[in-house]
Amino acid sequence: MRFGGLTALNNVNFQINRGEVRAIIGANGAGKSTFFNCLTGVLRPTSGRILLNGENVAGMPSNKISQRGMARSYQITNILPNATTLENVRIAAQSRRHGWSMLKHRDGYRDLIDKAEAVLDSVGLRPKADELAANLSHGEQRNLEIGIALATEPQLLCLDEPTAGMSGAETHETMQLVRSIAKNLTILIVEHDMQVVMELCNQITVLHYGEILAQGTPAEIQQNARVQEVYLKT
Amino acid sequence: MTPRDHKYYWIGFAVIIAALAIAPLVLPPYWQRFLTEILIWGLLAMSSDILIGYTGMVSFGHSAFFGLGMYGAAAALLMFKPANMWLAFVFGLTGAALVAMFVAYFSTRLRDIYFAITTLIFSQIFYVIIFTWTDVTGGENGLSFSRPQLGIPGVWTTPFTGETMHWFVLAVVAGSYLILRRITQSPFGMVLQSIRENEPRTRAIGYPVERYKIVAVMLSGMFAGLAGVLYAIQNRFAAPDFVHFLLSGEAVIFNVMGGIGTLVGPIVGAGFFLLLREFLGRLFGEQFPYLIPLGFIFIVMIIFLPQGLLGFARRWLNR
Repeated sequence: MRFGGLTALNNVNFQINRGEVRAIIGANGAGKSTFFNCLTGVLRPTSGRILLNGENVAGMPSNKISQRGMARSYQITNILPNATTLENVRIAAQSRRHGWSMLKHRDGYRDLIDKAEAVLDSVGLRPKADELAANLSHGEQRNLEIGIALATEPQLLCLDEPTAGMSGAETHETMQLVRSIAKNLTILIVEHDMQVVMELCNQITVLHYGEILAQGTPAEIQQNARVQEVYLKT
Repeated sequence: MTPRDHKYYWIGFAVIIAALAIAPLVLPPYWQRFLTEILIWGLLAMSSDILIGYTGMVSFGHSAFFGLGMYGAAAALLMFKPANMWLAFVFGLTGAALVAMFVAYFSTRLRDIYFAITTLIFSQIFYVIIFTWTDVTGGENGLSFSRPQLGIPGVWTTPFTGETMHWFVLAVVAGSYLILRRITQSPFGMVLQSIRENEPRTRAIGYPVERYKIVAVMLSGMFAGLAGVLYAIQNRFAAPDFVHFLLSGEAVIFNVMGGIGTLVGPIVGAGFFLLLREFLGRLFGEQFPYLIPLGFIFIVMIIFLPQGLLGFARRWLNR
């Protein structure tokens, strides 16, 4: 991926297996968010392929990638602030069915409401279902982000710093949440908190100036001399 | 909406419809006609609310849809003898829908001001075509024709009088309102509002946003065309002035005055604007530039009532 003269991502090549939880770590500007934007169709990679279940999705618009089973959450909270918590999740669930229905009232779709309520249960926001999303606390909005992604029933979930700006207690709760959803999902996560990464993930990819510096299990990464030097030195 | 709210909503709806239905029996002919026109302009404004208020796209192209409805109706009424009301609707709506599809295809890739300008340019293109293609459209003079009969040809017909015209327009506008309201409450309507709130996010959760916008523009354009057909039948002419983008601008003003995203707001806005204009015209006399005080009032309203006259009831009306 190039922006003018800057090559933001170069030769980033790896495979993520079904059921895996993989972290992508790296310093600011390493290309983590750019990588996510390429994966989910926000940016069109200059070259290269992205295979999802064997199909090349590179350069597809984000709605098609979503329909093929990849969902993401955003580093900067990206929700519908003037809709309720339930509506935020419901509209995501609705993208799989009934989206074009025009002549029946939205409250008539019990299956969508049930689905949305189930998702809210799983992210712990059911008590806030009828609150406007804008009125939720920061931590709750971050969890709603994950809820919206989950409601699209993804196979691969990409989480971009799900705990950004959270307090210690909130971080802990969100990590519990990610751990519980990781049971039936493949997860790719960008995270700065190394303790979280080490506990949660079974594979780590380290990006450095747009290239892969190292890959491996948490133990391998911790012992990698180059990673120690450029990233873990603090 | 709680069941009680529901009851109040429908009681209010019935009272307003009843008042509008009785009005032509008590109003003098001039005001009777005036009220019918308010309903037609209200329908035009309401159709653009689907885009402005619900999808977040400000269209300056609605004069093209309105005008094509008008000229489509004119074509049907001039080509077929005896004139058939239903053919006027078929022609007008088809014309408006085709133009809307054309405009939508090119303009929905753009957002915000770029969308607005593109729709404005398209409406001006249609204006110039209609203005200059004198052989077919009558050019500057437009087309005039006689009114069709109200009813089903061969079964039951009655001539359009002031009252029957009014009731017919009221029925069409009320029906359109109920259909549009249902559409805005449907899953499809939710997607439009989601696009308004956060377009990239709506795409990211799997919606083909452009396709939704194209359908929204077509829907909106068809209801604008419906208003054009009604206006043609009421006034027995079609003229290029009604394709000019100034009319689109008025539709936007009706929306802003009445309250966008409420559907009824634009109708109230149209009534308020037209009555105010009439009143100022009478107060100062036709010689006086009475649009100046009207503009002043509009600016004051924007500052002190940015949500429009019915903005306060927005959430309630959309339940």
